[in-house]
Amino acid sequence: MIFQTSLLIGLVIFSVLAILLRDLLKSAISLAVASLLLGIIFFRMKAPYAGVFEISVVAGLITVLFVLTIALTKTGDEVRESKLVNWVFPVVFVAFIVIDALVMKSLLGRVPALAPGAETGTFGDILWRGRTLDLVGQIAVILAGVFAVLALFRKDDKHE
Amino acid sequence: MSNTWYLYMFFAVALVLAGLIGLLLKRNLIKLFIAIEVVGKGVSLLLLSTGFAKGSILTAQALVVTYIVIEVSLVATALALIINVYRHGKSLDVRGLAKLKG
Repeated sequence: MIFQTSLLIGLVIFSVLAILLRDLLKSAISLAVASLLLGIIFFRMKAPYAGVFEISVVAGLITVLFVLTIALTKTGDEVRESKLVNWVFPVVFVAFIVIDALVMKSLLGRVPALAPGAETGTFGDILWRGRTLDLVGQIAVILAGVFAVLALFRKDDKHE
Repeated sequence: MSNTWYLYMFFAVALVLAGLIGLLLKRNLIKLFIAIEVVGKGVSLLLLSTGFAKGSILTAQALVVTYIVIEVSLVATALALIINVYRHGKSLDVRGLAKLKG
């Protein structure tokens, strides 16, 4: 439990660093480290498939996409962040963390226990047989993403 | 619910709050998108920990895997949009988007 808690604390710290760090490349890398920690947490919760997806896709592929975007947009004006961010963010975040802890402490034991789920079969059964129409929706979303990227990067023939 | 669930809930809420504060305070478009990713991490942690506490980890896993697949599609589209915004105005400042004219 102590190891799991330290993983969770590391996850929050690296996520906050990803938002706070001034250098975009460093923040993309800390986001990847946060994803890696989240993947390890998933593994320890006995969810190996979610962990594999989190580490390979989110920590791998999405980081590559972020680094590519940062490289493609590097030679512009530096965006001037508000000077307030450096001290407003930690202050507000710590205040919210305290409120969060107080709320969770007062909720302790009050949320009614959910009925235990009746799960049978393997992960494959749940993923493929338990779902019907939402798989079609998921395919539609992925195709929409592909077409959106194609449309956004199309060449304008008139100006060539 | 077991006491462990409240611990996961606490950290998930902390992640969502960090992302939301980042969304309010930052101006760089890539930074804003990183903040959205942090919110998404909090949501997937909450989904999986609730499944873990309830004993239905397989359904939670299927939901998280679906979410990750959709997230990749979202990231690709949003980063393509960000690159186009940059090409249009040579800046990633979100305040510049208000000045766009057709």
